[in-house]
This record gives sequence, C-alpha cells and structure tokens, in this order.
Amino acid sequence: MKITKSSKLLLAVAAMLLGFGMSGSSIAQDKDPIVVGYIGSFASDTGLSTIRGAEIAIDELNAAGGVLDGRMIKFVKADTREDVAEGIKAYEYLVESENVDFIISGSIDDVSLGWLPRMAEYKTPTLDTWTSYVGIIDLVVNEYDKYKMYFMNIACDEALATLYIDFGKDVLAKEMGYTSTVLMYEDTAFGVSIAGLVEGLLAPEAGIKISEKIIYDANTVDFAPLFNKAVSSGADFIYLVSSVRSQVPASQYVKLQVPIPMTGVNVAAFGQDFWNDTGGLGAGTSTLSPVPSVGMALDDRSAEFITNYKARYGSERPIYPHFNGFNAYYGIYTAFAAAERAGGFAPLDDWIREMENEDLKLYKDGELWFRYAFWKRGEIEPRTQREYTHNVKFDITPPFDDGSPAMVVVQWYEDGSSAVIYPPKFATGKFQEPSWVK
Amino acid sequence: MLIQILLPGLLLSGLYALIAIGFTMIFSVGRVLNLGYGAFLMFGGYIYYQSAQILGLGKVPSFVIATAAGVLLGLLVYVILIRKLKGDAIAIEISTLIFAIVTQAAIIVVFSPSPKSMWPLIPGVLRVGDVIVTYNLVVAAVTSWVVLAALFLFIGKTHIGRAIRAVSMDPKGAVISGIDPDRINLIIWGLSGGLGAMAGIFLATYTQLAPAMWVAPLIIAVAVVIVGGIGSILGGLVAAHVIGMLETITTTLIAAELRGVATMLLIILVLIIAPKGLFGKAEL
Repeated sequence: MKITKSSKLLLAVAAMLLGFGMSGSSIAQDKDPIVVGYIGSFASDTGLSTIRGAEIAIDELNAAGGVLDGRMIKFVKADTREDVAEGIKAYEYLVESENVDFIISGSIDDVSLGWLPRMAEYKTPTLDTWTSYVGIIDLVVNEYDKYKMYFMNIACDEALATLYIDFGKDVLAKEMGYTSTVLMYEDTAFGVSIAGLVEGLLAPEAGIKISEKIIYDANTVDFAPLFNKAVSSGADFIYLVSSVRSQVPASQYVKLQVPIPMTGVNVAAFGQDFWNDTGGLGAGTSTLSPVPSVGMALDDRSAEFITNYKARYGSERPIYPHFNGFNAYYGIYTAFAAAERAGGFAPLDDWIREMENEDLKLYKDGELWFRYAFWKRGEIEPRTQREYTHNVKFDITPPFDDGSPAMVVVQWYEDGSSAVIYPPKFATGKFQEPSWVK
Repeated sequence: MLIQILLPGLLLSGLYALIAIGFTMIFSVGRVLNLGYGAFLMFGGYIYYQSAQILGLGKVPSFVIATAAGVLLGLLVYVILIRKLKGDAIAIEISTLIFAIVTQAAIIVVFSPSPKSMWPLIPGVLRVGDVIVTYNLVVAAVTSWVVLAALFLFIGKTHIGRAIRAVSMDPKGAVISGIDPDRINLIIWGLSGGLGAMAGIFLATYTQLAPAMWVAPLIIAVAVVIVGGIGSILGGLVAAHVIGMLETITTTLIAAELRGVATMLLIILVLIIAPKGLFGKAEL
C-alpha cells in the first residue's frame, strides 16, 4: 500500500489526537475518587432504602461526569446490624479503613447515638436519613463546635409529635368525635417515649381520655388477650405504638375483627411491603409517617426517582423506598452541591457553611411540596419557639409553605390501597373506620 | 371478666398441648431432648404458607402437604442425625439445636428475614360478649384435643402403640420381647415431625410466620414437659392448660409484658416442689 504525504499528515494528526484523548482520559481516571460511606443495616427495609437512594443519586452524578472537577464517587458500606457496638465499629471502619469523605446514615436512633462521639472525634461530615431523635439535634444546638458536622435529613420526633397532636384534635376528636382511647404500646424506648407524648400532650390537648394503658412485650405475637382487654374497656378507639414486628398487631386486628377503630404509630405500615407482609390483612391501620410517605402524591422529580428505583430494583423488597430512601437521594445531592461550592468536604467549616446554605425546593402544582434545607444556628422555629440546628427544614404550621411537613398520617384501606389522610394539604384520602367496626 | 379469661385461655391451652405433644413423645421414648423441635413447627408453617398463600393450592391440600413434609423432615433428622449419634444425649441436644439454627438460616435465604402474616385456616370470629376469638383458634384447639385422643387410642390399643410404650418403659426389655427400638424411634420422630408441622400451621396462622418462630414453641414445649411430668401425655395435656390459663390470666389481670415471665416462674416452682412434674413417670 502506498502512503502519500497527505495520508502521513492525516495519520500524524490522528495519532496526536488519539494520544491527547488517551492522556486526557487517563488523567480523569487517575483522579482519586470521592468516597461516600454508608452506615446502617444491610438487611432491613429502612437500611436498604437509604442504600438504594444513595446509590441512585451517586450513579446519576457519576454518569453526569462526576463531581468536584470530574472526580468519580465511590460508594462503600458498613453494616451496623442495628446494634450499637457494631455501629461504632462500622463508623471506625469507614473512616480509618476506607478514608471516607462523607458518611450517609440509615442508622436507628440508638446506633446513631452510639457512633456520634466517633463522628465528633473524626470530624467526618455525616448526614442521617432515618434517626429522628431530637436529643441528637439538641447536642448540635448545645455543643455546636463539637457536633457541627452532623445533619439530620428527617424532621425530628418533637416536630413530628407537634404536628401529630393537630391530627388528634382535628380528626380524632373533632371529626370522629372520639373521647376516650386505650393506649397500647410496646415496652421499648420508642414505645415508652411515644406513649409519653400521647399521654402528656395529645390526649389532654385533644380532650381525649385514656381509659386504659396496656404495655406489652415487644416480642408478643398473640394480641388476642390484649385486644379483648382493650374492647372491654369501652374506649372509642385503640392507640397503638408499635415498632417491632408491627405487622403482627395490624394483621391480628383484622383477623379478630376488633370492633373499635385503631390508629397510632405502626412502623411496618411505613412501607409499601406492609400489605404483602400482612397477607392482605392490614386494613384499617393508620399511622403517622415521616415524609415522603407511601400513599403520598409526589412532585415530578421525586416521581422520576421512583420510576428509576422501580426500574433498577424491580420486585426486590422494599418495592417502594421508605421515606429515608428519598432523604438519602436528596441528601447526596445537597451534600455534593455544598461540596462543589466549598471546593470539597474539607476544610470542614467551609463545607458546613455551604451545607447550611443549601436549599433544595420541590414544587407540585405550583405549591411547595418538599424542602431539603436545614435550620441554621440561632434560627428559631416559630411554633415551638426553639432551635433545631441542622435538622431538615420542616414546617409544622399550615399552609406548610416554608418546609416539608414534619409528618403525615397514612391509612391502609381494605382494598389494599393507602392514602395520606392528614394534613389536608397533602391528603389523598379520608380517615375511615374499618367495615367491621360498629 | 371470667369469660375473658376462660374462653381464650381454654383455646390457647389446646394449641399449646398440640405444640408440646410431639416434643413429649420423643423425650418419653428416646430419652433425648429434641432442641430442634421448634424447627418442625417453623418448617410446617413455611411449607403451608408457600403452598396455600403463594402457590394457591388450597388450604386442605396445603395442610396435608405441610404435615407430610413435617413427617418426612422428622424421619430425615432421625436417619441422618439421631441414629448416627447412638443415644449420646448431649451430642443429640447440641446437634438438634444446630439443626434448628441451620433451618432458620435456610428459611431466611429462601423466604427473607421479614415476618409474614398468614391467612387464617378458617376465617371469621366468635364473639361472646366483649370477648373475641378466631375460628382459627377454635379449630386449632379442637384439632389438638382430637389428635391427643387419637394418640391415646393409638398408644393404648394398637400393636405399634404398645411397642412404643414398651420402649418408653424399658428399651432393653423391649428388645428381649422382639421389638426393634430403632424402628419405634423412627416412627416417633416421624410422628413428632408431623405433629410439629401441624402445630406450626396453627401457630403461624394464629400469630405470624417468622424465621425465629421456632424458639417460642420450644420454650412452651419444654415448659409443658417439665410442669406436666416427663413422659406423660396426660401430664402434658394438663400442663398445657395450666400454662395457657396462667398466661391469659397474667395478660388480662396483671400485666401483658409479664406473660412469659409467669411461665418461667411456674417452671422454677415445679422444679423445686415437684421435680418430676405434676404427673411425672417413666413411660407414656
């Protein structure tokens, strides 16, 4: 084959271009990745929700060319097994062995409290997506310099409870006309804490008398004697607080056709898998839920997240992310948006400053629907008149145009569908007593 | 208040008797504690769930399939494990406990760790005043009484039953009489597996299905054996009713969270006052 001068020139140019392109590509690949660590359970639906929400966001950011001047994000995980000691070890592993730049957490309250001192020691930027314990926010408020690297992407339990009292007044007392309840709760820290709020705040403010209190072992699987006791008390409804094996009281309520309504907090009912887990025997259960909940209408971006989630994970449980899946998805975006403005996750104070300025607003039909921003230091929440530094910017006062609602109340109906029944702005259904209730 | 205790208590006791009987039989005949007995219940429950609720094969066929699967599992455990350990009680107890843990792990792999609620065998409820009981529990209790009566007849009136009694009384004497204790033990393990699976179906449809569900029935079975007296079916029946009633009374009148504690206290009390149990004797 004869090579002409012009061909040689062309080949030389092509070789140069190829060489340049290859070296450019190798430069991009040689950049150290940004390492994001996940801490939480690997097996629970809530843990998987956080993992998957973060995974989707990270893959989207990587596919769009990476972050912080074209660096890829590497995602590493550490299992807490929902155990405090394992949680502390997991945090140490992420920081010391994986050298993470940022941690996203799907830990439960006790586990987060366990690794919190390590976080303060390592000064690792951390975002919690499941824990809602207000005590952690109080640590940030009272010891800001020590805990300032901590952010909570879910409304704290105090905000949840404050809005939930309104549900008691508006729906249970005013709309349904209930005047008495049986408070049935598990003997866990969660159960006792929520029951205390119901007894101390909800009941007196809504004018509802607590006729009977039934405390049960968290491992109880036979609720028949408890429901019989509740019915014989003559109360208008049962207020159930259950976070452990919560599908059991829900399904036995249906199997026993308990003739009085039941509402309260049922953690299993937060997820779309609840209906299958109860074998279709979950009707009538209503529960407060952090947002975004099942049965809730979504803005366009969140709806797209769900489409991607379903396409990626199909029928693997959880078939629909729990609220913390959304919180993790948006949490990754806000953390990296802050990092882009701050030039990275270090210096820490620069990133914290930009994270405090982060404000991701999601609108539905022109109305503010969800907001991923954070309460700033010294900022006072108008209704409770107190600080919630680094808690997600919740709103507990209608018309909810300053932040995401702190919670919604969800109900499961007899046809297997679920709907938000409170507050009215987000409602997609009404509170209904089951058909067997007389 | 009385009916609130008596009716649910009586029915719950029936279920407990069914749970305990398979465990009692193995202990009476083989003189070993089958600490994997709860796995028979769990296995039966999950097979029924898969058959009735997932594959939709119908409740009656699924009940038969799950019970038969329980018999098969009991036979396999005996042939693969128990027979090879040649009566070494400690080795059998440890290995049956490991068998239960391995079964639990297998259940998690196949069915996921999430608990599942099951449809009742018979839907609907019976209301007596303020008291509600499910037909499911009524059927469980009645089945239990029928099975126990049939077992009495089987052991008292049939040739195999008499052979079982002979082995439970004196294995060496039984051999001299021409009875093969190995064959009798095989039959007992098969029966125990089937009864356990049956109890597991009732228990799971009454409460829930979960990979750790083998632990609670094992505790109930051990409690029934200790309180009723080792080796006594009648004692087991009485003990199951004492425990069922005690739990219902504790839950209704004292405090629901003390339900399990009352049973534990009863075990300690019986061990101190009557170490052989209420009807303790050496044979069935």
